[in-house]
Amino acid sequence: MKRKALLGIGAAAVLTLSGCALNGGDSSSDSTESSSGPVTLTFQSLAYQDSTVAAVKDIVDTWNKKNPDIKIKLTQGTWDNVHDQLVTQFQGGTAPDIIHDESSDIMGFAQQGYLADISKYLSSDVKNAVSKDVWDTVTTADGKIVATPTLLQTYVVFANTDAFAAANVKVPSGKLTWDELASIAKQLTANGKFGVGWGLKQPTAAVMNTALGFDGTFFDTKDDGTATIHVGDDEVAVPERIHAMAYDDSSLDPVSLTQSGTDVLPGFLSGKYAMYVGGNFLAQQITESAPDGFKWTVLPPLAGSAGAAQAANPQTMSVSKQSKAPAQAAKFIDYFMSPENQAKLAQGDWLIPASKPARDAVAAATKGTPVWGPILKSGEDLAGAPFQKAKNYPQWKDQYATPALQQYFANSISLDDLKKQLSDGWSSIG
Amino acid sequence: MTQTIAPPAPHRQVTRKVTEPPVRRMRTFTRPLQYLALLGYVVFLGFPLLFLLSTSLKTPQELQSGDLSFLPRQFNWANFGNAVEKANLAHAAGNSLLVATLTTVVVTLISLPAAYALARFRTKLRGVATIWILLSQVFPFILIVIPVFLVLKQVGLVNNPIGLVLVYTVWCLPFALWMLRGYVAAIPVDLEEAGAIDGAGRLRVLRSIVLPLLAPGLVATSMFTFISSWNEFFFALVLIQDPGLQTLPLTLARFFGAEGQVQLGQLAAASLIATIPSLVFFLLIQRRLTSGLMSGAVKG
Repeated sequence: MKRKALLGIGAAAVLTLSGCALNGGDSSSDSTESSSGPVTLTFQSLAYQDSTVAAVKDIVDTWNKKNPDIKIKLTQGTWDNVHDQLVTQFQGGTAPDIIHDESSDIMGFAQQGYLADISKYLSSDVKNAVSKDVWDTVTTADGKIVATPTLLQTYVVFANTDAFAAANVKVPSGKLTWDELASIAKQLTANGKFGVGWGLKQPTAAVMNTALGFDGTFFDTKDDGTATIHVGDDEVAVPERIHAMAYDDSSLDPVSLTQSGTDVLPGFLSGKYAMYVGGNFLAQQITESAPDGFKWTVLPPLAGSAGAAQAANPQTMSVSKQSKAPAQAAKFIDYFMSPENQAKLAQGDWLIPASKPARDAVAAATKGTPVWGPILKSGEDLAGAPFQKAKNYPQWKDQYATPALQQYFANSISLDDLKKQLSDGWSSIG
Repeated sequence: MTQTIAPPAPHRQVTRKVTEPPVRRMRTFTRPLQYLALLGYVVFLGFPLLFLLSTSLKTPQELQSGDLSFLPRQFNWANFGNAVEKANLAHAAGNSLLVATLTTVVVTLISLPAAYALARFRTKLRGVATIWILLSQVFPFILIVIPVFLVLKQVGLVNNPIGLVLVYTVWCLPFALWMLRGYVAAIPVDLEEAGAIDGAGRLRVLRSIVLPLLAPGLVATSMFTFISSWNEFFFALVLIQDPGLQTLPLTLARFFGAEGQVQLGQLAAASLIATIPSLVFFLLIQRRLTSGLMSGAVKG
């Protein structure tokens, strides 16, 4: 009797599972289609601003009308979770055919062999439109192009021009050095208001990107991704200057150093900070949230001893190696990279197109908005940085660099301690 | 005779006042304080919802102004319209409702007999099962998500709400079982024995005595399961790819951008809307969530 009951339960379980399987979704139906016939490709976009989401949808709709044999199915992902999602989907073979991400994340997947080499599918127009420095950020050590760079961000200085006028300080134009920034910040600090607010809760990316302005390279990276670290005066020039403004000059609010960029924004909009350093994409939020009559601008790119260079970490479009139609997927990316499309996306997100013709198109379309000038100019000095290809960089960043920089910006450790922690941290994992 | 009549009424009243028990006087004094504490507790519990409501009605300018006033300067209802339109909330809520309801039903159906068996039958399996329940709770999601994904893909349940129901059932079952087992154990065995003495069979005892007494436990367990499934994000993120099958938490994530960007007003409006079904579910069943049904049922 018991045996019969067990058999019954087992049969029910099998039937339930098979029934579920029969009714299952078509997670991989698209990927089994032949690459020669009509195909449907999935494209996961991470567009965030409403205008950019609409622009992406518009691009996809236009493509689908013109190319009935290569249908693009648009899905929406989020920046916060894209890494975990892709890890699982690559493992399970269900990753989207066309993947929107950024170079610092996507290169790890490229090293694991999950991304197709799309160099042979891209048109010469697209290849010539982007500088070699930026192409380097999406090219593997053995020369494979695993993504196209789309939009870029830089760190820029936003300025409340009324605060400048009230303090009788001239708004810089042409160029702005770190020394000038410190000097202006001091002049603008008075009556409980600070010259600068800078949200550096997660300080590593900002420090590593802007270090190039002082020739701070941090790493000597080999083709296989192994790297040796060097933390000298050039590497810590940026944190040293930030620290000095916060604790020697008292012109940078030390509390803002513990907050995120968006947390500090209300302080800028309410007049607590005369200047605000952050990603250029924050211009969109300022436009949307600034009170009536708030006058602001973007200052010229911040230059160190080696110029205004910053590390480029472009948003990217890649093709999964698991895709059954990589040529068709790359063809869509080629279309996506057209100057008109890139200009439309860049304006929605207030980001800088990696493509020169698209930058020109944005410049032409935004002549009436002067703040776009310095934002686009800051994109001209972007370059690849050695840390972007150092294999253990993400681990070093999370476990050592971020805590060490946070302690330094909290005035808990000295500059020498910072150097030691950064070097020792790399030695322990490198 | 007339002298033996009871004392006049005023005198009796005075006597009564004098002899009023100290406990009653204490209650008169402490009752307002109790209500005050209760009011404070209600405000404490309700504040997040009120704050959400306040945020959902503010304009982006006001949210970024640094002004912490609770009442919006002007009511910006557009956040609700934008949130519903942008995140396709109604459709996502339907998906969440389907998944959460199915999970709740399945978990309750499995955990009810299992919890009874664990609480009442003294077998060697009882200890093993208890350890299994506790152990199953210690594995972090990130550790099991890839194996779970691969298994579900093999049986065609990726990108399928049934796959989510299966995962949520496995995820909620141990804690539901643990919770319900405690409720079963709290029912005195004497009640069941009394029913048996009166001639009721095992099934009749379960249906007529145990089940009604377990109602608060079942309500608590189903609430826990429903809300856990309703709010779950990570498995849904990994298992669901089709936009038409996305659950509410996935659509809410669209209001977050890179590097801490967030559309706060729309997010608050969408979150408020997303909270309503949970609140309704709670209101519908909260009357059952009472204790003390068995007080005095067994003497001694």
